[in-house]
Amino acid sequence: MAAPTSGSATAAKPFDIVATYNELLRSDPDLTMPIAAIEALVLLLTHSPSSTISETLDLLEKSTAHLKQSIPNPIGLSAGTDLFQRYLITTLQRPGQLGPAGDFNAIRAHLLSNGRLFIRRAKESRDKIAAFGRGFVRDGSTVLTNGGSRVVASLLQKAADEKGGPSAVRFRVIYVLSSAKGSVDNSGEPEGMETVRALRAKGVPVATIPESAVAYAMGKADIVIVGAEGVVENGGIVSRMGTYQIGLLAKAMDKPFYCVAESHKFVRIYPLGQYDLPIEQRVIDFKTEEEVADEAKQQQEVTPVVRPVNSADSSDVVDFTPPHLISALITDSGVLTPSAVSEELIKIWF
Amino acid sequence: MPSPPVALTPGLASFLKSLKTNPIDTSIDDLISLLKRRQIRHSRSCATATAYLLRSVISACRTSDANKLIERVQYVGRRLMAAQPREMVVGNIVRRVLGLIRDEAEDDREADFTLSDAGSESQPQTPRVLDDLSESLSGRHEGSDRSSSRQPFASLSAPPISMFSLLSHPEPESSLPGTPASASPSGRLLSQIHNKDIRAEVLDGINEIIDELGQVDDQIAAYALDHIHSNEIILTHTSSTTVQKFLLKAAAKRKFTVIHAESYPNNHEATHATVSGQTPDDDELLSTEAFQKPLIALGITVILIPDSAVFALMSRVNKVILGTHSVLANGGLVAAAGTRVIARAAKVHQTPVVVVSGVYKLSPVYPFDFDSLIEYGDASKVIGYEDGDLVDQIDVQNPLYDYVPAESIDLYITNLGGHAPSYLYRIVSDHYRKEDINV
Repeated sequence: MAAPTSGSATAAKPFDIVATYNELLRSDPDLTMPIAAIEALVLLLTHSPSSTISETLDLLEKSTAHLKQSIPNPIGLSAGTDLFQRYLITTLQRPGQLGPAGDFNAIRAHLLSNGRLFIRRAKESRDKIAAFGRGFVRDGSTVLTNGGSRVVASLLQKAADEKGGPSAVRFRVIYVLSSAKGSVDNSGEPEGMETVRALRAKGVPVATIPESAVAYAMGKADIVIVGAEGVVENGGIVSRMGTYQIGLLAKAMDKPFYCVAESHKFVRIYPLGQYDLPIEQRVIDFKTEEEVADEAKQQQEVTPVVRPVNSADSSDVVDFTPPHLISALITDSGVLTPSAVSEELIKIWF
Repeated sequence: MPSPPVALTPGLASFLKSLKTNPIDTSIDDLISLLKRRQIRHSRSCATATAYLLRSVISACRTSDANKLIERVQYVGRRLMAAQPREMVVGNIVRRVLGLIRDEAEDDREADFTLSDAGSESQPQTPRVLDDLSESLSGRHEGSDRSSSRQPFASLSAPPISMFSLLSHPEPESSLPGTPASASPSGRLLSQIHNKDIRAEVLDGINEIIDELGQVDDQIAAYALDHIHSNEIILTHTSSTTVQKFLLKAAAKRKFTVIHAESYPNNHEATHATVSGQTPDDDELLSTEAFQKPLIALGITVILIPDSAVFALMSRVNKVILGTHSVLANGGLVAAAGTRVIARAAKVHQTPVVVVSGVYKLSPVYPFDFDSLIEYGDASKVIGYEDGDLVDQIDVQNPLYDYVPAESIDLYITNLGGHAPSYLYRIVSDHYRKEDINV
């Protein structure tokens, strides 16, 4: 176990948590937002020599607030920062080796030396989910899914994998590809194509449909499996734009709608509806012709090559799927009903 | 096939009688064949038989090593569950007994090892490697596999917080005095620690389960007055004794009307007997029920209707009270065929649906595939073989059970009280250990 590296950081340039967070996300495409946030906070602790508890907590709080402000959609991220903070506080309050009687340095050292481990565990929890969720994909069934969720991808691949279980499941996939311009990734194809290719390579017949064909295709699907960016307190999910409508359609057609998410994505917000999320989204943007003309003129004056704001944002716009549409959440702590989420959250907060 | 020496029709009574005299392996085979032949079929009879059998299994197991007990119970449990996979109560009782053994083993350890978590890897390890979940995890011994088996031990100070498993400590403190012990085979470690007989404690626990099975209907009935009010019209279905006791309890104080759907073709004879008060000559039911007075003897108006009239009468019904075969972790249930129709009709008329069920029927199994839960019965009950010409030409099916989704149920009443369907997961996690869900 390495001792806290207090001296080395002072010489280096000031630690920028936002840049670190973005860098972490960029360098590892498999990393989820909460884990990147935890990782960034661990790195922050390495760089700042704080020896008292309140100093550390204060530092964490400030950096978290800064990080949340600088990221357009901090919902996923705040799940990670909250979890980290609560873990710290709870461990300190608990009797035992790392408790108040114990050494604060011990818990600090534990966190610092195990940053990699957290990432590994987070990735392993996907395997765990895949193991729980494999039972949901039955022989001969058709699964409808959307988006670029890595958990869903790993679940489906595991189900298709011969080595994954006693025998491979023969199933078909209807993959809803986002038609929005912004959701095209670097290589120029819609998000999720990678998963589609991986599944096809394993011999799973995949049909890709645009979002407008969901209602049409729902009749052919047996179950719907979606990923999530965050699971909120009432058991609803915040996820890629378009999930809500799939949920509504699945409910209308009486198809089970499952959400796959790691438990570190549980986040303590309680949205009352679509427009109650703690983020700015310019999805519904009313304009008159005059305003459109004004905007166009303004943009030409400032920089002629700037892209319109809307399409740049639309890759990460999210919507909220309320809990009554969700049949169950498949998490690494088991298959939960939506109401079980609040209990998990209460356990860490109170 | 080793047959019981007692000259009774094979069933619960004959099984319990033979259990005392027969060697344990014969008894296990006996119960397996009874389950396979469906000679024991009521869920409570299955539960009782399983509990008694496991009690004999444990008292015949001359060891105080928790691991050996767990292995033995798991082995027997797997065979019983394989014999009749749709009879979920068997698995429930097996899981509860496994949980008992684990609790006792941990109590002991906690007493001796309050300080260290060092032995924590010990007991769930051997059996759990077998189930398919941990197969996928077996690649990593240090990571979250460890942390998940650690959870029960955290309970000495606070409830386990699964969300923290991501961040929790990766390995036991190397400075602790107890650490060297964790290197030794856990079985030996355990039996050294034990002075008292873990077996006696477990047997006590099983006796409590058996007592619970005996009292469960009365405990549920104690809630009857909260739910049945004067002059209400109650609709029920099948001859479930739990429902009958529930209604009888309320009938002692209040006057109301019962509409009883006859549940043709599988349960109508028993239903008729229940309504008219004739003793059902079904020796599987334990004798106490046979002495029960029918509702009509207490001055309750009982209207017997065919199942097809349910929808027509539903608009006049104040409350639907249903019995069940088993309850699943998501809040749905498997009950006698016809239940789903009633639940749907009630939904249409916004009539509250109350399900009465003992906690022992609550299964931690998540219903991945609803169709596989439905059992099909004797087709000749629908159309007799006398109609040979017809039987040749048509496909007759007689499903015994219905899957009713959680949305159609408003309230569950168990021996612990009333619960919303979405709360059942909580009762599941209180009653069964996570590591036992896949036996």
